Amino acid sequence: MAKPIRITIYNHKGGVGKTTLAINIAAALSELGKSVLLVDTDPQCNLTSYLLSDDVVDNLLDHSDGPGGQTIWTAVKPVFDRVGDVQFVAPKHIGDLALLPGDIRLSEFEEFLAEAWTDSFRRRLGGLRASTAIRDLVSQISSQRQFDYVFYDAGPNIGPLNRVLVLDSDYFIVPVACDLFSVRALSTLGETLKRWLLDAQTIASLAPDATSCLPAAPRFLGYIPQRFKTYGQTMSQESSQYLRQVKKRVYENISAVLRSIDPGLAPEASVDPVIGQVKDFASLVQISQREGVPLWKCSSTYQDQKDAAHVAFRQIAQHISNAPSASATRRSPRR
Amino acid sequence: MAKSGLNQRDHRRIDTAVAKYCDQRHLFESFAKSLSDYFSTDATLKPFIHFIKYRTKEPDHLRDKLIRKTVDGDEINAENLFDKITDLAGLRIIHLNTDQLREMHPAVLGVLDEYKCVLVEPPTANCWDNEFDAVFKSLEIETKSRASMYTTVHYVVRANQRTPISCEIQVRTLMDEVWGEVSHRVNYPHSSPSESCQDQLKVLARLTTGCTRLVDSIFRTHQEALNRQ
Repeated sequence: MAKPIRITIYNHKGGVGKTTLAINIAAALSELGKSVLLVDTDPQCNLTSYLLSDDVVDNLLDHSDGPGGQTIWTAVKPVFDRVGDVQFVAPKHIGDLALLPGDIRLSEFEEFLAEAWTDSFRRRLGGLRASTAIRDLVSQISSQRQFDYVFYDAGPNIGPLNRVLVLDSDYFIVPVACDLFSVRALSTLGETLKRWLLDAQTIASLAPDATSCLPAAPRFLGYIPQRFKTYGQTMSQESSQYLRQVKKRVYENISAVLRSIDPGLAPEASVDPVIGQVKDFASLVQISQREGVPLWKCSSTYQDQKDAAHVAFRQIAQHISNAPSASATRRSPRR
Repeated sequence: MAKSGLNQRDHRRIDTAVAKYCDQRHLFESFAKSLSDYFSTDATLKPFIHFIKYRTKEPDHLRDKLIRKTVDGDEINAENLFDKITDLAGLRIIHLNTDQLREMHPAVLGVLDEYKCVLVEPPTANCWDNEFDAVFKSLEIETKSRASMYTTVHYVVRANQRTPISCEIQVRTLMDEVWGEVSHRVNYPHSSPSESCQDQLKVLARLTTGCTRLVDSIFRTHQEALNRQ
């Protein structure tokens, strides 16, 4: 079976619409005939709550720790308890999408991953295994059923959990809101990614023979400006000012930084890696969240807005589906 | 550097090799730190370890070494650097007396095996004393006699087969450390021009080796007395 392309939607800045983006991109990709697995890797479980009803979510969380549990915590618990490898958990099928449900207890695993990273530097097998636990889980799931894409919905922080997700990904996408804080956050994002990559390279260089490591070659697929204000068809002056700053900062703080490690990891300066644009759809977002459907399928009566959302996400999905496959992106180590 | 007889091409070759080391020095540092961590937490080794230290080679010292090697006709470049120079990372375990090696040597090999470190060459004991030579041989450690009268057991290990990141582990007694430190200060990075000093270092080796041998004897006597009680 062909390996799916793994993508993390990542920005440590909160409130930039990561979860909404994940759902809608996944839905748009599935309309293009692609199969998508959504992995809820945010301990806040927003993605899971979006797609499943409250009572189902409560039931999942109540039973995730015991036998027959069905969340991501159930899967990684044997690693956390140091009794074995990840345990297979079948994803939930919701319409055309598959979801590996999230779990608030993933935050405990995150603390464990911090220690595992230090152990990985010391070449300790336990640490190396824990760092690849989620990667191994996704590989197991996608060996049972063909997926074209796997999306990690990352929580808004620079933590050890997001580190393993980004380092496991073939690509990452950065959603940015058009405001001052989002623009400023880009500089820490680039530096963080650089540190993660260099650390992962050190770990991989020193790891004992026959141990598996994170691939640590996430390519920057691009950014998606979110929630900007429009007047009719045109963007507000303030939003377009921020957008220009975003474009500049994205190159300086993300692309250039990654290219200093490996030019294959990000596009060059002449390319604006904007994947698409998601304007402020206001009430559509709340309605579709409540109904657990993509923006264009919610019950809102603003048909124009829904059509605009559909077009925007179809374009984003097209853009993503044009990206080279996982095997084509995997290059030999440069050392 | 005119007096060294090196030409511009030699200096460029050495610069490139040193730059490659600087670029990867963090890997040597991290590997040595890991090894230090394994040995100092190993239950068998812990009681024997007087102290443990590690370092990575200073780039200037590497440059000097590559210049000396060039003068001696050994041309080391960026490609063969990591294979030819095996002490870019060095870790030293100091213990008290040679008898302890009977338990320490298998424990060192055990740690290396547990953490999947690859021995680049068989462990070697640098040794000039006949009695100690017999002890090392009984432990199946190859012995090598150095004119300098240097005494230390060496293990050269790699992190894995893929990358040439290696570390030289030195195991020596506290008295051999005394000899090593004095010799190092007098002869490093350049040999002392004083022949008397070189001569005195050989006398010092007899004293330090004699001390180690005496400590063996004291502990054996002490143990026998305890056993008789």
